Amino acid sequence: MTDNTRHSVQINPEKCIGCVHCMIACPTKAIRIKNGKALIIDELCIDCGECLRFCPQDAVESMTTSFSDLKAFPYKVVIPATVLYGQFDNTTLPNEILFALRRVGFDYVYELSTICELNNTALEMYLATHPKPRPFISSTCPVVIRLIQRRFPSLCEHIVPIEPPRENAAKILRANLPRMTKVPASNIGIFHITPCPAKMVSINHPASMEKSYLDGAISIRDIFKTIYQTLRQSKEDTIMAHLFPETIFSGTGVGTALSGGETRGLKNHRTVAVSGVRDTIRVLNQVELGLLKDVDLLECTVCPDGCIGGPLTVENRYLAKSRILRLVSIMGERTVVDSSDMNLLYHKDFLSFHHPIAPLESPPLDADPAQAISKANRRNEIFQRLPRKDCGACGAPDCRTLADDIVRGLAALDDCPFAKKEET
Amino acid sequence: MTKDTVFRQEFPVKGGDFSRAGEVSWEIKNLLKELGLSTPVVLRAAIASYEAELNIIMYAWEGRLVLSVTPGRVHVVVEDSGPGIEDIELAMTEGYSTATLEMRELGFGAGMGLANIKKNTDAFLITSEVGRGTRLELTFLTNGQRP
Ligand SMILES: Nc1ncnc2c1ncn2[C@@H]1O[C@H](COP(=O)(O)OP(=O)(O)O)[C@@H](O)[C@H]1O
Ligand code: SF4
Ligand SMILES: [Mg+2]
Repeated sequence: MTDNTRHSVQINPEKCIGCVHCMIACPTKAIRIKNGKALIIDELCIDCGECLRFCPQDAVESMTTSFSDLKAFPYKVVIPATVLYGQFDNTTLPNEILFALRRVGFDYVYELSTICELNNTALEMYLATHPKPRPFISSTCPVVIRLIQRRFPSLCEHIVPIEPPRENAAKILRANLPRMTKVPASNIGIFHITPCPAKMVSINHPASMEKSYLDGAISIRDIFKTIYQTLRQSKEDTIMAHLFPETIFSGTGVGTALSGGETRGLKNHRTVAVSGVRDTIRVLNQVELGLLKDVDLLECTVCPDGCIGGPLTVENRYLAKSRILRLVSIMGERTVVDSSDMNLLYHKDFLSFHHPIAPLESPPLDADPAQAISKANRRNEIFQRLPRKDCGACGAPDCRTLADDIVRGLAALDDCPFAKKEET
Repeated sequence: MTKDTVFRQEFPVKGGDFSRAGEVSWEIKNLLKELGLSTPVVLRAAIASYEAELNIIMYAWEGRLVLSVTPGRVHVVVEDSGPGIEDIELAMTEGYSTATLEMRELGFGAGMGLANIKKNTDAFLITSEVGRGTRLELTFLTNGQRP
């Protein structure tokens, strides 16, 4: 059986009509149309979710945690991404959303912005004590990690070895909840609410630890309606949320939902923030060529404008962005993280990776160098026979990729209806 | 097939076209990876090709990179028709640059390009004729052994 947890998206063959939208949109050319259905090539997919955005048939499904999966855990804990706060109208405050999550059935709701701020502070400490290499690259977006492992192997050592906030929050909860609640550890399920399917891969197959501290991730798309209805049905909760302002929010932390959220607070360092998958690939190439050595920290998020533009969000990202900015300004720049707590956690290595991230390179055209050269020549000859229409009729995203598939034995020249036949 | 099997590909570069800057060296980098070369060799060849590509875009009218690869070595010939370089020794000096203010604003023109090319190659030849053009020959040994 194939391991269907390897990737975070799956094509539903019932719904897929074999159009070429996802195949053309894929930034790593990981999709082919075979027998009238889209097919994802595991080794090339980086879980960015572009296919999910572009599918007009709704046939690309995210492999995130379903509500029925939650039943396995008697005590349910949820850690919503701060992106969630931008999905509702301006009058719905974060505290009300957290209240609604309790009413929906979560036993414990953990607010993430404080940990986001904590991570920013940890980043700052790490940069200050590690002069090399430059630039460091932040570890928050799991797609960036995959991209580096697969396409920019030399940059693995540039990734800041600090776990992202969602993992550190879950780690803190694992360490404390059994004692605080008297619930046995095995009964506690901890779930993230996520704007992207990629978190699922980082949970099922983490790159920097043996096992994730999270049990799953619920899509914002899936849970939005439930939260929305709960908010409408239980107006008295709103009042309660106002009367129990027990949660401390960090403005800096909430701001990490946007591109630049991790770099904004780093006053003593030179930083660059890039968002969008194509610009991320471009800047990572520049780093690999040694062109950004004067930058201390590079923040890359593959979604447009950062996680707020994640493929599983529901709200228009410009509106969502403006709401997050409004929250950040209401909450202010006040620091909520105690620096001595922070120091302690940092120096106990509580926030660090268990192990470094290793490259996951795709194989060359051939293991034998001379054979690889012949195949590259052959690929160019095949390309000459193709019309350069890049129409996708062959089931590959463009003519060059078809030529590549042919030399790798994955396709045939006949797949192209316009190919010049081989001379015999 | 012998150890002399050669892969050859030509990449044209247009002078002044900053919007495509880096595309040729990106292709070369990916090709060398597909041919199975080790990461350090791929990166050295990519860095040198990038600098050479940019020099055509910045200073010449038009030119090309010609890549040829055998199992033992990578060879890149860079040729352009352009103003040429009058004093090669001076041009090779770290920090020397005739880049315009606009180019510097785009982040180019640190004067390290030619020095960087030299540093990253296992053999490097440069010839130039004023008013006609410049030619570079870059060699990288694939076993990663620097002489
Ligand atoms: N292909 C070329 N044609 C003409 N002049 C060149 C060429 N390549 C380099 N030069 C000259 O040599 C100088 C140094 O080049 P380089 O070391 O690449 O630094 P930079 O490109 O940052 O100026 C350039 O400023 C330019 O005057
Ligand atoms: S940018 Fe954020 S939302 Fe998008 S894939 Fe990365 S982590 Fe997920
Ligand atoms: Mg230069």
